[in-house]
Amino acid sequence: MKKLPITLALAVLFLTSCKNSEEDILPKGDFENGILISGEGSGAGTGSISYVSNDFTITDNLIFKDVNNLELGTFLQSVAFDSENAFIVVDNQNTITVADRFTFEKRGEITTDLSTPRFMAIAGNKGYVTNWGSTASATDDFIAVVDLLTLTVESTIPVGNGPERIIERDNKLYVSHKGAFTTNNIISVIDITSKEVKEVTVKDNPDEMYFNSAGQLIALSSGRTIFDADFNVIGNTLGSIATIDTTSLSITNELVFELGEHPSLMVLENNTLYYNLGSKIYAIPADATSLATSEIITAEGFLYGFEVEGDNLFTLNANFSDVSDLNVYSIATKLKTQTKEVALGASKIYFN
Amino acid sequence: MKKYVLFFLVIGTYTCNVFGQKDSLATLLKEVIVVADKSFKKNSKSSKVVALKDSVLFKNTESFASLLRFNAPIYIREFGAGGTSSASFRGTSSSNTAVIWNGININSINNGQTGFNSLTVSLFDDINIRSGGGSLEYGSGAIGGTVHLNDTFVFKDAETIENQFIVSAGSYNTSNNLYKFKYFSNNLAVKFGVSYNASDNDYPLLGTNLNNENGAYKNVSFNGGFSHKITKCSELNLYSTTYLGERLFSGELPNPLVANDKYKDFNHRNLITYSIAKNNYTNQVNIAYLTEEYRFFDDKNSENFNFGSSERYLVSNRFGYDFKNINATISSFTEYESIFGKTDQISEKNRRQFSQSILFNQHINNLFFYDVKIRKDFNSDYKVPFTYAVGTKLKAFKHLSFRANASKNFRAPTYNDLFWPGQGNLSLKPETALQGEFGIVYANKNFKIDVAGFYISAKDKIVWSPNGDPQRAGIWTPINLSDSKNKGVEALLEYATNIGAHTLQINANYSYTHAKNTETDTFLIFVPKHLFNGSVGYQYKKISAFYQQLYTGATFTTESNSPDFVIPSFFVGNVGVDYLFLKTAQTKLSLGVKINNVLNQLYFTQPRRPLPNRNFNLNINYKF
Repeated sequence: MKKLPITLALAVLFLTSCKNSEEDILPKGDFENGILISGEGSGAGTGSISYVSNDFTITDNLIFKDVNNLELGTFLQSVAFDSENAFIVVDNQNTITVADRFTFEKRGEITTDLSTPRFMAIAGNKGYVTNWGSTASATDDFIAVVDLLTLTVESTIPVGNGPERIIERDNKLYVSHKGAFTTNNIISVIDITSKEVKEVTVKDNPDEMYFNSAGQLIALSSGRTIFDADFNVIGNTLGSIATIDTTSLSITNELVFELGEHPSLMVLENNTLYYNLGSKIYAIPADATSLATSEIITAEGFLYGFEVEGDNLFTLNANFSDVSDLNVYSIATKLKTQTKEVALGASKIYFN
Repeated sequence: MKKYVLFFLVIGTYTCNVFGQKDSLATLLKEVIVVADKSFKKNSKSSKVVALKDSVLFKNTESFASLLRFNAPIYIREFGAGGTSSASFRGTSSSNTAVIWNGININSINNGQTGFNSLTVSLFDDINIRSGGGSLEYGSGAIGGTVHLNDTFVFKDAETIENQFIVSAGSYNTSNNLYKFKYFSNNLAVKFGVSYNASDNDYPLLGTNLNNENGAYKNVSFNGGFSHKITKCSELNLYSTTYLGERLFSGELPNPLVANDKYKDFNHRNLITYSIAKNNYTNQVNIAYLTEEYRFFDDKNSENFNFGSSERYLVSNRFGYDFKNINATISSFTEYESIFGKTDQISEKNRRQFSQSILFNQHINNLFFYDVKIRKDFNSDYKVPFTYAVGTKLKAFKHLSFRANASKNFRAPTYNDLFWPGQGNLSLKPETALQGEFGIVYANKNFKIDVAGFYISAKDKIVWSPNGDPQRAGIWTPINLSDSKNKGVEALLEYATNIGAHTLQINANYSYTHAKNTETDTFLIFVPKHLFNGSVGYQYKKISAFYQQLYTGATFTTESNSPDFVIPSFFVGNVGVDYLFLKTAQTKLSLGVKINNVLNQLYFTQPRRPLPNRNFNLNINYKF
């Protein structure tokens, strides 16, 4: 499950146990038992969240706006969840909007002390938000530590340029530095208690991260395209999937892509790693020692996000000037089974 | 109001000799008004022109966007009051609206548009708004319509000096200040003007407890020039204008506090014209030098900025010959232009452009007029299609006439479209549009109504799309993507009457636009179906009052016309009262109060960017 760090997975487990303790399982809201798709939005329309029920019979776009008569603005980067709430991160608005994750009623917002926030991890009563800082500076990037009870930023942890994804495990934060508007090649490992920051160097532009069944960190680096002053391509750097031992912080396995290949998305599900090159999606075992030779599916359109659940491969054909499409494929038959119109600039899929 | 006689009428209809003679006609022409674009009126006989005069300009001095919004058949999009704004006619795009300064197309070479909030309303002497295609006379971008900004000079037999101060103060610490100096004699006219406008522009955003943060602006402009009648048959004119503006770009909901962008722009325009009119022929040479530059600061506190700049050198010649016996004129217009443009992303490129037009028109018995115009362009960057236009006007009855015109027009790819690093597309073709219109005009002493049906078929529209280049999905690139058909009706009504000491004036514009993408059969985005604006003015002795009303229909913002992404329609009204304290032959002093958005309506033209709530303005106009 790509977007839900382990704590969230735990939170979901916790939820399940809550449910079991009640006699009647009351629906928690209209948007339970379904898929949430977040769309970044653009000049054509607000960033938004779409709901698609698990059985695909209900599709509801702009659920936050429908419930609250408010727009989230642009660009909706990501959503983090705890057991009750969704934390909707909108980078150009320096805003995290908090809503009930099942009803999407607004619960509050954080509008100060954030600076181009990107992703958030939750551990206990704290949220940890990656921030790019001013676009004009590569040295003011930080992790904002948010008190989830008061919805205020209580402290910040300075980190290297362009922190992107953030996940938590065993009181440590793992932050991939995609490099914001430029480039970077590190993963920061932050001790939550001491706030000590260590760095692991990987291939250029690290982005998506997961923990495998052995507790190792798996990180996807896209590699970088190098342009001259006139933006002609004059070179590339390598992309890779690196497996990192979280104790020694050394790379134990590294699958390197061909020069010029730039993967941008990765999912770990059922011990299988799924990744993309353009609109082609590939699958390898999580402990594979080589990359796949052929794709499993070529997604329709502009593949901007994907997710896997059982046999279903959910892909987003993003459109930034119009509504996007969610296309669902069966991994077994490779056939497209569903198409739904979803959020403008759709980029992320979450299971609710 | 001065008797408005265009100089070209004088030289076009009567020879220079007549002009010099002291016959009854010449003495009637106590004032001769000189404009740089002498052929505009002649070329617009079959078109609809809305002329905005002083009295209208001073009602909407706060911004060019609001001037057009309340007085012209134009749809204005504005990124917050005073912010980036664009204008479109008849369902075309904002790069299909050409802005013409003293006869020269001043749309930006970088993005093909003119930012309407970088123009100062009150420095111009008059503004004409012509609906319909005009590429033939004004080149690229004149598809939906043209906005003409004119400086005029007046030759008067009696030597005159005129000074005018306008000072206004309003809500949000807004001030608009203007000084104009004019000198007229029978062979020399000189004028100079300076304006300074500034505002905190931090109006409350209705429906929230937030304000329009980071919306402040200030700008200063200078305007000057002279016209000198060298001999009885020749005249030399100089026009010069400079604009220096600094604006912050306001934030949008939900968190406008985030905004910290800053934008500076500098424009400088100079034009020299020399014209002769003798016997049957006229000739005018124009030499122009124009520069523009913008600087965009992503962080207003930082010294880093992105920029774009251009320098244009332009030479043109217009030659006209009258066939008096058949009441016809043939003219030739030749233009050469060299443009150097660059941005922080695009190294300097030079575009050279040459065009040749031939225009012919004839009046038959003062009842029937027609013209035929053709133009061929040669451009160093791309191939421009041959363009043509025909127009006719028939005076069927005393008060009723019919007009019709058809033309082919184009919009050239901009520097951004062609050269943006990694994204520009060098194989773009110009957009082209065929348009036609038929209008019925009824005019008598008090009343004018002009109702026209229009049709525009546009081809190869340049659209930036993330799927523009199939090899590079996700990279926004411009392509010649879509075709569209726009049809609709545009109506104008003007009424003025005096009953004793009471004067009543009514103006209204209405347009109905049905504009669809022909491939997808969906409505074009940001095109309201209904657009209405109107004003009622009333004057009794020293007191005058007016009310302006605007209605803008709902617009889609996505190509699929998703009902989730719609900008709702809105009604907005302004009201004002003026009191004339002092009026002598030489001196005029008036005090005015204006309430904008008097009903305090929440409205916006761009999502999450509400436009100002009810606000007040106090102004003093002193002329001596």
